[in-house]
Amino acid sequence: MSKLQTLRGVIRELRYSLPDRTLKDNIAFRYIMNQYRKYRTTDQQICKAQEEMDFIANTYLCYLRSSRLSQEIHDEFHGKGERSIEDTARMVGFKLPHDPK
Amino acid sequence: MFLCEIKFFSLTNENGSSDFEKTTRNRFYKNTGILKSDDKFEITLDQRKLKTPKGNLFLVEAEPLALAVATEWHSQKNKIIQSKMHLTTLCNTVQDNPNNLTKLDIVQYIVNYLDTDTILFQGNENDDLMKLQITEWDPVIAWFNERFKVHLKKSVQMDVPPVSEQDKATLSRHLMSYNFAAVNGFMYGVDTLKSVILTLAATERYMSPEKAVLLSRLEEEYQTGHWGRVEWAHDLNQQELQSRLAAVVLFVYFNSQSYKSQQKNKV
Repeated sequence: MSKLQTLRGVIRELRYSLPDRTLKDNIAFRYIMNQYRKYRTTDQQICKAQEEMDFIANTYLCYLRSSRLSQEIHDEFHGKGERSIEDTARMVGFKLPHDPK
Repeated sequence: MFLCEIKFFSLTNENGSSDFEKTTRNRFYKNTGILKSDDKFEITLDQRKLKTPKGNLFLVEAEPLALAVATEWHSQKNKIIQSKMHLTTLCNTVQDNPNNLTKLDIVQYIVNYLDTDTILFQGNENDDLMKLQITEWDPVIAWFNERFKVHLKKSVQMDVPPVSEQDKATLSRHLMSYNFAAVNGFMYGVDTLKSVILTLAATERYMSPEKAVLLSRLEEEYQTGHWGRVEWAHDLNQQELQSRLAAVVLFVYFNSQSYKSQQKNKV
Protein backbone atom coordinates (compact mmCIF):
# COMPACT_ATOMS: atom_id res chain seq x y z
CA MET A 1 0.00 0.00 0.00
CA SER A 2 1.41 3.40 -0.95
CA LYS A 3 1.90 6.09 1.68
CA LEU A 4 -0.88 8.18 0.22
CA GLN A 5 -3.31 5.27 0.32
CA THR A 6 -2.44 4.70 3.97
CA LEU A 7 -3.08 8.35 4.78
CA ARG A 8 -6.38 8.26 2.92
CA GLY A 9 -7.32 5.11 4.81
CA VAL A 10 -6.57 6.70 8.18
CA ILE A 11 -8.61 9.78 7.32
CA ARG A 12 -11.49 7.65 6.13
CA GLU A 13 -11.47 5.69 9.39
CA LEU A 14 -11.36 8.91 11.42
CA ARG A 15 -14.39 10.14 9.50
CA TYR A 16 -16.23 6.89 10.24
CA SER A 17 -15.50 6.91 13.92
CA LEU A 18 -15.59 10.57 14.95
CA PRO A 19 -18.76 12.58 15.44
CA ASP A 20 -17.24 15.79 13.98
CA ARG A 21 -18.78 17.05 10.79
CA THR A 22 -15.42 18.23 9.50
CA LEU A 23 -11.97 17.02 10.47
CA LYS A 24 -10.35 20.38 9.78
CA ASP A 25 -10.19 21.33 13.47
CA ASN A 26 -9.62 17.85 14.85
CA ILE A 27 -6.38 17.70 16.85
CA ALA A 28 -5.47 14.16 15.83
CA PHE A 29 -6.08 14.90 12.15
CA ARG A 30 -3.91 18.01 12.30
CA TYR A 31 -1.13 16.15 14.05
CA ILE A 32 -1.16 13.39 11.43
CA MET A 33 -1.08 15.91 8.56
CA ASN A 34 1.82 17.74 10.15
CA GLN A 35 3.76 14.51 10.55
CA TYR A 36 3.15 13.60 6.93
CA ARG A 37 4.33 17.00 5.74
CA LYS A 38 7.39 16.81 7.95
CA TYR A 39 8.44 13.37 6.75
CA ARG A 40 7.77 14.13 3.12
CA THR A 41 10.68 16.54 3.13
CA THR A 42 13.04 14.14 4.87
CA ASP A 43 16.20 13.51 2.87
CA GLN A 44 17.68 10.14 2.05
CA GLN A 45 19.82 9.94 5.16
CA ILE A 46 16.90 9.42 7.53
CA CYS A 47 14.99 7.39 5.03
CA LYS A 48 14.72 4.68 7.66
CA ALA A 49 12.64 6.98 9.80
CA GLN A 50 10.30 7.49 6.89
CA GLU A 51 9.70 3.77 6.57
CA GLU A 52 9.19 3.61 10.28
CA MET A 53 6.52 6.29 10.06
CA ASP A 54 4.83 4.41 7.26
CA PHE A 55 4.73 1.25 9.35
CA ILE A 56 3.28 3.12 12.32
CA ALA A 57 0.70 4.84 10.11
CA ASN A 58 -0.36 1.45 8.75
CA THR A 59 -0.54 0.07 12.27
CA TYR A 60 -2.78 2.95 13.31
CA LEU A 61 -4.95 2.32 10.28
CA CYS A 62 -5.20 -1.34 11.30
CA TYR A 63 -6.12 -0.28 14.83
CA LEU A 64 -8.90 2.05 13.72
CA ARG A 65 -10.29 -0.32 11.13
CA SER A 66 -10.21 -3.48 13.23
CA SER A 67 -11.76 -1.69 16.21
CA ARG A 68 -14.57 -0.45 13.98
CA LEU A 69 -15.16 -3.80 12.30
CA SER A 70 -15.15 -5.78 15.54
CA GLN A 71 -17.69 -3.33 16.96
CA GLU A 72 -19.84 -3.63 13.84
CA ILE A 73 -19.83 -7.44 13.97
CA HIS A 74 -20.56 -7.30 17.69
CA ASP A 75 -23.47 -4.91 17.18
CA GLU A 76 -24.91 -7.07 14.45
CA PHE A 77 -24.84 -10.36 16.30
CA HIS A 78 -24.66 -9.74 20.04
CA GLY A 79 -26.48 -7.88 22.74
CA LYS A 80 -29.77 -7.23 20.99
CA GLY A 81 -31.93 -9.23 23.37
CA GLU A 82 -34.06 -12.09 22.15
CA ARG A 83 -34.53 -12.41 18.40
CA SER A 84 -37.79 -13.25 16.71
CA ILE A 85 -38.13 -16.68 15.14
CA GLU A 86 -38.06 -15.10 11.66
CA ASP A 87 -34.80 -13.25 12.37
CA THR A 88 -33.14 -16.32 13.75
CA ALA A 89 -34.27 -18.43 10.84
CA ARG A 90 -32.91 -15.91 8.37
CA MET A 91 -29.62 -15.76 10.22
CA VAL A 92 -28.95 -19.47 9.79
CA GLY A 93 -30.37 -19.55 6.27
CA PHE A 94 -33.68 -21.28 6.97
CA LYS A 95 -37.21 -20.41 5.99
CA LEU A 96 -40.33 -20.86 8.08
CA PRO A 97 -42.95 -23.35 6.85
CA HIS A 98 -45.37 -20.61 5.76
CA ASP A 99 -42.77 -18.44 3.99
CA PRO A 100 -42.85 -18.48 0.18
CA LYS A 101 -40.14 -20.74 -1.25
CA MET B 1 -31.73 -28.47 15.39
CA PHE B 2 -33.77 -25.38 14.72
CA LEU B 3 -34.90 -24.95 18.32
CA CYS B 4 -31.42 -25.55 19.49
CA GLU B 5 -30.16 -22.58 17.44
CA ILE B 6 -32.75 -20.22 18.88
CA LYS B 7 -31.89 -21.18 22.38
CA PHE B 8 -28.21 -20.67 21.75
CA PHE B 9 -28.71 -17.19 20.40
CA SER B 10 -31.00 -16.06 23.17
CA LEU B 11 -28.63 -17.37 25.82
CA THR B 12 -25.65 -15.44 24.54
CA ASN B 13 -27.76 -12.37 24.15
CA GLU B 14 -29.01 -12.48 27.71
CA ASN B 15 -25.52 -12.68 29.08
CA GLY B 16 -24.18 -10.21 26.57
CA SER B 17 -26.72 -7.51 27.22
CA SER B 18 -26.58 -7.72 31.01
CA ASP B 19 -22.80 -7.31 31.02
CA PHE B 20 -23.16 -4.57 28.48
CA GLU B 21 -25.52 -2.62 30.73
CA LYS B 22 -23.30 -2.97 33.75
CA THR B 23 -20.07 -1.81 32.20
CA THR B 24 -21.18 1.13 30.09
CA ARG B 25 -21.97 4.72 30.82
CA ASN B 26 -23.58 7.24 28.55
CA ARG B 27 -21.29 9.68 26.85
CA PHE B 28 -21.25 12.78 29.05
CA TYR B 29 -18.89 15.07 27.11
CA LYS B 30 -18.90 16.72 23.74
CA ASN B 31 -15.28 17.48 22.95
CA THR B 32 -11.99 15.83 23.79
CA GLY B 33 -8.56 17.38 23.84
CA ILE B 34 -5.08 17.09 25.26
CA LEU B 35 -3.22 19.37 27.65
CA LYS B 36 0.50 19.59 28.17
CA SER B 37 1.66 19.83 31.76
CA ASP B 38 5.40 19.67 32.45
CA ASP B 39 6.68 16.85 30.25
CA LYS B 40 3.46 14.90 30.18
CA PHE B 41 0.10 15.05 28.51
CA GLU B 42 -3.37 14.93 30.04
CA ILE B 43 -6.66 14.11 28.31
CA THR B 44 -9.61 16.48 28.64
CA LEU B 45 -13.27 15.57 28.21
CA ASP B 46 -14.87 19.02 27.87
CA GLN B 47 -13.58 20.82 30.97
CA ARG B 48 -12.96 17.62 32.95
CA LYS B 49 -9.68 15.78 33.10
CA LEU B 50 -9.57 12.06 32.42
CA LYS B 51 -8.66 9.92 35.42
CA THR B 52 -7.54 6.32 35.77
CA PRO B 53 -9.76 3.68 37.45
CA LYS B 54 -7.82 4.21 40.71
CA GLY B 55 -8.57 7.91 40.57
CA ASN B 56 -5.12 9.15 39.54
CA LEU B 57 -4.79 11.86 36.93
CA PHE B 58 -4.34 10.17 33.55
CA LEU B 59 -0.88 11.02 32.18
CA VAL B 60 1.12 9.88 29.17
CA GLU B 61 4.55 10.94 27.98
CA ALA B 62 4.19 10.91 24.20
CA GLU B 63 2.04 13.41 22.37
CA PRO B 64 0.84 11.03 19.61
CA LEU B 65 -0.20 8.51 22.25
CA ALA B 66 -2.20 11.20 24.07
CA LEU B 67 -3.85 12.15 20.78
CA ALA B 68 -4.70 8.53 20.02
CA VAL B 69 -6.25 8.12 23.49
CA ALA B 70 -8.24 11.34 23.03
CA THR B 71 -9.42 10.03 19.65
CA GLU B 72 -10.54 6.79 21.31
CA TRP B 73 -12.70 8.77 23.73
CA HIS B 74 -13.92 11.08 21.00
CA SER B 75 -15.04 8.16 18.84
CA GLN B 76 -17.43 6.79 21.49
CA LYS B 77 -21.02 7.00 20.38
CA ASN B 78 -23.91 7.15 22.90
CA LYS B 79 -22.37 4.57 25.22
CA ILE B 80 -18.80 4.58 26.44
CA ILE B 81 -17.44 1.10 25.80
CA GLN B 82 -14.18 0.99 27.69
CA SER B 83 -13.46 -2.67 27.02
CA LYS B 84 -12.70 -1.81 23.38
CA MET B 85 -10.37 1.10 24.16
CA HIS B 86 -7.12 -0.80 24.19
CA LEU B 87 -4.75 2.16 24.26
CA THR B 88 -6.57 3.71 27.22
CA THR B 89 -6.56 0.31 28.94
CA LEU B 90 -2.81 -0.09 28.44
CA CYS B 91 -2.09 3.41 29.80
CA ASN B 92 -4.35 2.76 32.80
CA THR B 93 -2.68 -0.55 33.57
CA VAL B 94 0.77 0.99 33.48
CA GLN B 95 -0.20 3.95 35.63
CA ASP B 96 -2.30 2.13 38.23
CA ASN B 97 -0.35 -1.15 38.10
CA PRO B 98 -3.27 -3.04 39.70
CA ASN B 99 -1.28 -6.26 40.17
CA ASN B 100 1.75 -4.50 41.69
CA LEU B 101 4.12 -6.07 39.21
CA THR B 102 7.71 -4.97 38.77
CA LYS B 103 9.40 -4.77 35.41
CA LEU B 104 11.41 -7.87 36.30
CA ASP B 105 8.23 -9.85 37.11
CA ILE B 106 6.80 -9.05 33.70
CA VAL B 107 10.03 -9.79 31.83
CA GLN B 108 10.26 -13.17 33.55
CA TYR B 109 6.66 -13.91 32.67
CA ILE B 110 7.32 -13.12 29.02
CA VAL B 111 10.56 -15.08 28.85
CA ASN B 112 8.99 -18.14 30.50
CA TYR B 113 6.12 -17.91 28.03
CA LEU B 114 8.64 -18.88 25.33
CA ASP B 115 8.51 -22.47 26.61
CA THR B 116 4.95 -22.70 25.30
CA ASP B 117 5.17 -20.31 22.37
CA THR B 118 2.50 -21.12 19.76
CA ILE B 119 4.77 -21.18 16.76
CA LEU B 120 7.37 -23.43 18.42
CA PHE B 121 4.83 -26.24 18.69
CA GLN B 122 3.82 -27.54 15.32
CA GLY B 123 1.26 -30.27 14.85
CA ASN B 124 2.12 -33.21 12.59
CA GLU B 125 -1.27 -34.92 12.41
CA ASN B 126 -2.21 -33.26 9.15
CA ASP B 127 0.18 -33.02 6.21
CA ASP B 128 -1.28 -29.87 4.65
CA LEU B 129 -1.32 -28.01 7.94
CA MET B 130 2.21 -29.21 8.62
CA LYS B 131 3.39 -27.80 5.30
CA LEU B 132 1.65 -24.52 6.00
CA GLN B 133 3.33 -24.26 9.38
CA ILE B 134 6.72 -24.97 7.88
CA THR B 135 6.38 -22.34 5.14
CA GLU B 136 4.79 -19.69 7.39
CA TRP B 137 6.28 -20.20 10.85
CA ASP B 138 9.81 -21.46 10.23
CA PRO B 139 11.08 -18.25 8.58
CA VAL B 140 9.84 -16.26 11.59
CA ILE B 141 11.69 -18.55 14.01
CA ALA B 142 14.82 -18.17 11.86
CA TRP B 143 14.46 -14.37 11.88
CA PHE B 144 13.95 -14.36 15.65
CA ASN B 145 17.09 -16.45 16.26
CA GLU B 146 19.12 -14.18 14.01
CA ARG B 147 17.75 -10.93 15.43
CA PHE B 148 18.13 -11.78 19.12
CA LYS B 149 21.14 -14.13 18.83
CA VAL B 150 19.32 -17.09 20.35
CA HIS B 151 18.91 -20.73 19.35
CA LEU B 152 15.25 -21.65 19.61
CA LYS B 153 14.13 -24.92 18.05
CA LYS B 154 10.65 -25.90 17.05
CA SER B 155 9.03 -29.03 18.39
CA VAL B 156 6.93 -31.42 16.34
CA GLN B 157 6.48 -34.27 18.82
CA MET B 158 6.48 -32.29 22.08
CA ASP B 159 9.95 -33.72 22.68
CA VAL B 160 12.12 -30.65 22.36
CA PRO B 161 13.78 -29.36 25.52
CA PRO B 162 12.47 -25.95 26.61
CA VAL B 163 14.32 -22.84 25.67
CA SER B 164 17.81 -22.86 27.17
CA GLU B 165 18.58 -20.72 30.22
CA GLN B 166 21.19 -18.89 28.20
CA ASP B 167 18.67 -17.87 25.55
CA LYS B 168 16.24 -16.75 28.23
CA ALA B 169 18.93 -14.60 29.80
CA THR B 170 19.73 -13.04 26.43
CA LEU B 171 16.11 -12.19 25.82
CA SER B 172 15.63 -10.89 29.38
CA ARG B 173 18.48 -8.46 28.86
CA HIS B 174 16.87 -7.20 25.68
CA LEU B 175 13.45 -6.74 27.29
CA MET B 176 14.89 -5.07 30.40
CA SER B 177 16.29 -2.33 28.17
CA TYR B 178 12.72 -1.11 27.56
CA ASN B 179 10.82 1.00 30.07
CA PHE B 180 8.04 -0.28 32.32
CA ALA B 181 5.27 0.90 30.02
CA ALA B 182 6.71 -0.83 26.94
CA VAL B 183 7.24 -4.09 28.86
CA ASN B 184 3.58 -3.97 29.91
CA GLY B 185 2.72 -3.58 26.24
CA PHE B 186 4.75 -6.69 25.37
CA MET B 187 2.86 -8.68 28.00
CA TYR B 188 -0.49 -7.59 26.57
CA GLY B 189 0.70 -8.61 23.11
CA VAL B 190 1.96 -12.01 24.28
CA ASP B 191 -1.39 -12.69 25.96
CA THR B 192 -3.17 -11.67 22.77
CA LEU B 193 -1.18 -13.81 20.35
CA LYS B 194 -0.05 -16.59 22.71
CA SER B 195 3.36 -16.10 21.17
CA VAL B 196 6.40 -14.09 22.27
CA ILE B 197 8.04 -14.54 18.89
CA LEU B 198 5.13 -13.11 16.89
CA THR B 199 4.66 -10.23 19.33
CA LEU B 200 8.30 -9.20 18.96
CA ALA B 201 8.12 -9.70 15.18
CA ALA B 202 5.34 -7.10 15.11
CA THR B 203 6.92 -4.61 17.52
CA GLU B 204 10.27 -4.91 15.70
CA ARG B 205 8.38 -4.08 12.51
CA TYR B 206 9.38 -7.37 10.87
CA MET B 207 5.74 -7.97 9.98
CA SER B 208 2.46 -6.06 10.12
CA PRO B 209 0.02 -6.66 12.99
CA GLU B 210 -2.42 -8.20 10.49
CA LYS B 211 0.19 -10.74 9.43
CA ALA B 212 1.19 -11.55 13.01
CA VAL B 213 -2.45 -12.19 13.94
CA LEU B 214 -2.89 -14.34 10.84
CA LEU B 215 0.13 -16.46 11.79
CA SER B 216 -1.07 -16.83 15.37
CA ARG B 217 -4.42 -18.10 14.04
CA LEU B 218 -2.83 -20.29 11.37
CA GLU B 219 -4.54 -23.52 12.39
CA GLU B 220 -7.91 -21.79 12.79
CA GLU B 221 -7.54 -20.25 9.33
CA TYR B 222 -6.65 -23.64 7.92
CA GLN B 223 -9.64 -25.31 9.55
CA THR B 224 -12.09 -22.58 8.49
CA GLY B 225 -10.78 -23.03 4.94
CA HIS B 226 -11.99 -26.64 5.24
CA TRP B 227 -15.10 -26.36 7.32
CA GLY B 228 -16.41 -22.87 6.65
CA ARG B 229 -16.23 -19.55 8.34
CA VAL B 230 -18.67 -18.08 10.84
CA GLU B 231 -18.68 -14.30 10.93
CA TRP B 232 -19.63 -13.83 14.56
CA ALA B 233 -16.90 -16.14 15.75
CA HIS B 234 -13.95 -16.21 13.37
CA ASP B 235 -14.13 -12.73 11.88
CA LEU B 236 -14.92 -11.16 15.24
CA ASN B 237 -11.99 -12.96 16.79
CA GLN B 238 -9.63 -11.87 14.02
CA GLN B 239 -10.63 -8.20 14.16
CA GLU B 240 -10.44 -8.09 17.93
CA LEU B 241 -6.98 -9.62 17.99
CA GLN B 242 -5.84 -7.23 15.27
CA SER B 243 -7.04 -4.17 17.14
CA ARG B 244 -5.42 -5.44 20.35
CA LEU B 245 -2.10 -6.15 18.69
CA ALA B 246 -2.05 -2.90 16.70
CA ALA B 247 -2.63 -1.07 20.01
CA VAL B 248 0.33 -2.94 21.49
CA VAL B 249 2.63 -2.04 18.59
CA LEU B 250 1.66 1.63 18.83
CA PHE B 251 1.97 1.63 22.60
CA VAL B 252 5.43 0.05 22.63
CA TYR B 253 6.58 2.35 19.85
CA PHE B 254 5.40 5.54 21.55
CA ASN B 255 6.93 4.45 24.83
CA SER B 256 10.30 3.36 23.46
CA GLN B 257 13.52 5.29 23.78
CA SER B 258 14.17 5.76 20.10
CA TYR B 259 10.93 7.62 19.68
CA LYS B 260 11.61 10.08 22.49
CA SER B 261 15.07 10.93 21.25
CA GLN B 262 13.51 11.67 17.89
CA GLN B 263 11.00 14.01 19.48
CA LYS B 264 13.72 16.02 21.21
CA ASN B 265 15.30 16.87 17.86
CA LYS B 266 12.10 18.60 16.92
CA VAL B 267 12.34 22.36 17.12
